[in-house]
Amino acid sequence: MFRNTREGLALALPAAIFSTLLFLVPVGILLSEAFRFEGGWSLQGYIDFFATPLNRTVFLRTLKLGALVAGTAAVIGYAAAFCIVNLGPRARGTVFGMVVLPLMISPVARTYAWIVILGRTGIVNEAITGLGLSDTPLRLLFTETAVFLGLLQLFLPLMIISLVSAMENIPRDVIPAARVLGASWLAVFFKVILPLTKEGLVIGGTLVFTGSLTAYITPAILGGSKVLMLETLLYQRVNVSNDFVSASVIAMILIVMSFSANLLLKKIASARS
Amino acid sequence: MSDAFVQLSDVTLMYGKSVAVPDLNLSIREGELICLLGPSGCGKTTTMRAIAGLLDPASGSIHIDGRDVTRVPANKRGIGLVFQSYALFPHLNAFENVAFGLRLQKLPEAEIRERTEAGLATVGLKGYDKRKPAEMSGGQQQRLALARSLVMKPKVLLLDEPLSNLDARLRLEMRTELQRVQKETGVTMVFVTHDQAEALALADRIVLMKEGKIEQLGTPADLYARPETAFAAEFMGFENIFRVEGSKVVTDSGTLELGFAPASPLLAWRPDGVSVGSGPHQGRVLATSFAGAHREYVLDTPLGPVKADAAIELPEVAIGETLAFDLPEATARPLSA
Amino acid sequence: MNTSSRLLANWVILGLTLTFLIGPFLIIILAGASDTSYLAFPPEGLTLRWYLKVFTVESFRASFLLSMALAVFGTLAALLLGVPAAYALNRYALPGAETVRTVVAAPIIVPGIIVGLALLRYLVVPTGVTVTLALFMAHTALVLPYAVRVVSSSMHNLRADMEEAAVLLGCSRFQAFTKVVLPNIRGGVLAAFILGFVTSFNQVPVSLFLSGPGVRTLPIDMLAYMEITFDPSVAALSALLAFMSLAIVFVAERLLGFSRYV
Ligand SMILES: Nc1ncnc2c1ncn2[C@@H]1O[C@H](COP(=O)(O)OP(=O)(O)OP(=O)(O)O)[C@@H](O)[C@H]1O
Ligand SMILES: [Mg+2]
Repeated sequence: MFRNTREGLALALPAAIFSTLLFLVPVGILLSEAFRFEGGWSLQGYIDFFATPLNRTVFLRTLKLGALVAGTAAVIGYAAAFCIVNLGPRARGTVFGMVVLPLMISPVARTYAWIVILGRTGIVNEAITGLGLSDTPLRLLFTETAVFLGLLQLFLPLMIISLVSAMENIPRDVIPAARVLGASWLAVFFKVILPLTKEGLVIGGTLVFTGSLTAYITPAILGGSKVLMLETLLYQRVNVSNDFVSASVIAMILIVMSFSANLLLKKIASARS
Repeated sequence: MSDAFVQLSDVTLMYGKSVAVPDLNLSIREGELICLLGPSGCGKTTTMRAIAGLLDPASGSIHIDGRDVTRVPANKRGIGLVFQSYALFPHLNAFENVAFGLRLQKLPEAEIRERTEAGLATVGLKGYDKRKPAEMSGGQQQRLALARSLVMKPKVLLLDEPLSNLDARLRLEMRTELQRVQKETGVTMVFVTHDQAEALALADRIVLMKEGKIEQLGTPADLYARPETAFAAEFMGFENIFRVEGSKVVTDSGTLELGFAPASPLLAWRPDGVSVGSGPHQGRVLATSFAGAHREYVLDTPLGPVKADAAIELPEVAIGETLAFDLPEATARPLSA
Repeated sequence: MNTSSRLLANWVILGLTLTFLIGPFLIIILAGASDTSYLAFPPEGLTLRWYLKVFTVESFRASFLLSMALAVFGTLAALLLGVPAAYALNRYALPGAETVRTVVAAPIIVPGIIVGLALLRYLVVPTGVTVTLALFMAHTALVLPYAVRVVSSSMHNLRADMEEAAVLLGCSRFQAFTKVVLPNIRGGVLAAFILGFVTSFNQVPVSLFLSGPGVRTLPIDMLAYMEITFDPSVAALSALLAFMSLAIVFVAERLLGFSRYV
C-alpha cells in the first residue's frame, strides 16, 4: 500500500523543490561567480583573494579559532558530560536542561553579555582597576580572546549534548570493569571512553567547528573590524566594496571547510578503531 | 468452486521484482475457519494482505461473495484484519478504538454506542472502555483488536498470527475464545499461524504453504493422518522420513530391510508409529526422555538417528544400551517425492 | 578517590561549566537594570526604566513584529512542506530518498550569510520580489531541515500497520493520516514548531543581507542599535528575549519533554 512511488514523490518533492530553488540554485550561482573572469572560466578570483595578506590572515585566524574552540569544547565537554551521566536521573534532567537552554536564547543576547563582562566598564576591568592592577582599563573587547570566549560559550552546549548521548550508550559496567583490571583513569579515558564515544565527538566536533566558522554575530560584536573572521570579512566585502568575487570565494571556503571538517573527523574516528 | 465465498484465481503477488506468491488458487467457503500454515517467509501474510486489498496482485483475480474485488480499494472491501502487532490506535481509548470504523460510517451516536458496547462485551472487555491500549495486557489488546474488526461485521475476518505474542496459557484461552466468536457470529475467518498444533486445533481446513505455493490443503484430520509430501509430513510430526529402494529404506548412512515392498518413493513414521521393545532391528539408545504418557527415545541405527516413542509400561532402557525396534507397514505413511 | 570527594569534584566541574553557560544571562539581567545611561556592572542603582524603554522604541516594536511573523509563518510553511516530506521519507521506498534527504537538509550545512546573500542577488534583485517575501522564504528554507528531522524522528516509531488498520476500517488514505498519524505525531510537530520558531526568531546571518529600509528583524535591529547607543536597553531587551525563550522552552519541556527533540 506504500509502494505507490508517485504518491510518495508527490509528498516529498515540494520540500525538495523548494529547497532546490530557494537554496541550492542561488547558492550554486553565487559559488560559481568566483570562477567567472572576463567572460571565461578561471581561478583568478581565488588567486587574487589569497594574494591579499589580510585575507590570508583572516582565513588562518578563522581556522585557528574554529579548531581552538572545538578542541577546548571537547575537553570541557568530556569533563561535563562525564559528570552529567554520573548524576542521578532527576539531577541529570535538570542539569541537561540547563545545558540545552542557552541554545534557545538569541545569540545576540548571549554575545551581548560578554560586552558587559569584558567592556571598558565591565566586570573584569572593574576588578582589575579596583584591585589596582592597572590604572587604565584594559582593552579586552575586540580581541581574539573575546571572540574565542564568545564562540565557546555559544557552542559548548552542542558538544556536551553530543557527548552525553554518546556516553549514555556506554554499557553500564565497562568503566568499573576497566578500573578493576587495573587501568588508570587516563587509560580508561583513552582506551575505553574515547573509543566508545568517538561518534559523539565527531558529531559534536563538527557542530562546534562549523558553528564557529560560520558564526556572524559573535565576531561582529566581540571582534569588530579589528578581529575579522571569514563571515564578517564577507559582510564587509559585500557591503563596503561590493566585491562579490571575494564573497563567492569565502562562501566556497566556508562550505568546503565545513564539509572537510566533517569528513576529516569521521576519518580520524574510523582510523582509530 | 460454486460454493467459494472467497476465491483467489491465479493470483501472483510480487514485492518489486521478486515474486512472493506465484499463481495461487484458493477457495474459501462461507462461514469456515481456514488456517494458513507454513514456515516463516512462505507468504502467509502476503496472501492475507492481498485478500484485504493492502497489496495489489500483479496478475490474477480475487472474488469475494461473488463480486470481483481485484481492483476494489482496501477501505471498500468490507474485510477485517487483526494484525500480528494488533495495530491499535494508541491515542484512543478502548471504546474509541472499537467505535473508530462505525464513526466513519456516520452512524447515529446511539447505534455506535450500542454496537461498540456489544462488541466489547463479546470479547469480554466490558468496563474497559476508558483504558488506552498501553494500559491493557497483551491478551486484552488482542481481544480489543478483535472487537474492533468484529463490530464492522466484516464479510471475512483475517487474523495474522494473533496469538503469537501471548503466553502459552493465554494462547489456549484465546483459541477457544476465537472459536466461540466464530461460531457465534458465523463470520468467515482466515487465520495465519506457523504453529501446527494451533492450526490443527482451530481450523475447519488447513492450507499448508511452502515458498508461496500451496503444499497441501485439507481438514486437520486429513493433514494429520495423510500428509502427501515430505514437507507436509515433517510439519505434521512425522519425524522419521526415509527414501525407499525396493524393500529397503535408505539414508546416506545406511539401509534397513523392511520386509515389504512399498510403491511410494518415500515412507514416513511418527515416533509413536515406530514399535520398540521387539522387532527385527537393533538400535543403540542415544537419548531418552520422559514425556508423561510415553517415553521418547532417539536410537542410533544403520539409518542414522530414529525417533521412537515407547509405552510407559516398558522398562526404561539406559543410554548406550540397545533396543529392538521395527518400522511396521501398518503405521508407515507413503509420501510422494 | 572516595565517593564524597568524587561527588564534590563532579559538582565543582558542573558548577563551573554551568556558570560559564548561564552566568552571562544573570549578568545581563542585572546590567539591564542599572540606573546609569551607560552599561555598567555591577549595576549602579537599580531601575526598571531600561526594561520599560525597550517597549517604547519604535523600531524595536516594528522589528519584533516582523521577527514574530517570520518565525510563525516561516515555521508553519516549513511544516506544511516538511511534514509530508518526512511522512514520505518514512513510509515509501522512494528511488531518490537519499537525494531528497540531502537537499532538504542542505540549508543546515551552508552558512546562513551565504544563503541570504545568494537570495538577495539572484532572487530579490532580478525578480523584484520584496525583501519581506524573500525573508519569509529564506526562513522557511532554514527551518525546513529541523521540521523534517524532528517530525521524522517522531514518525519513526509509528508503525505503518496502524494506518492499514484504519484503511481497513473504512478510512481513505488521507483520513488515515489525519485521524491516526497526525494525533500520534502531534508532540513531534509541536516540538518542531517550537524549535523552528526559536531558530527563526534568533536567526541573524540569513537576514543580514535581506534587510531593507524599514524591514529589519529584531536581532538585526538590536545589532544596529548597539552601534549607535550604549545605554543598557539592549541588555534589558536581551534579558527579555532570554525570558521569552525560557518561558517557551519551559512550557514545551513540561508539555512534551522537549529536550529529547533538540
Ligand atoms: N515488504 C516487503 N518487501 C519485500 N519482500 C517482502 C516484503 N514482505 C515480505 N516479503 C517477502 O515475501 C515473502 C513472503 O513473506 P510473508 O511476510 O508473506 O511471509 P510469512 O509467511 O507471513 O512469514 P512469517 O511467518 O515470518 O510472518 C518472504 O520471502 C519475504 O521476504
Ligand atoms: Mg507474516
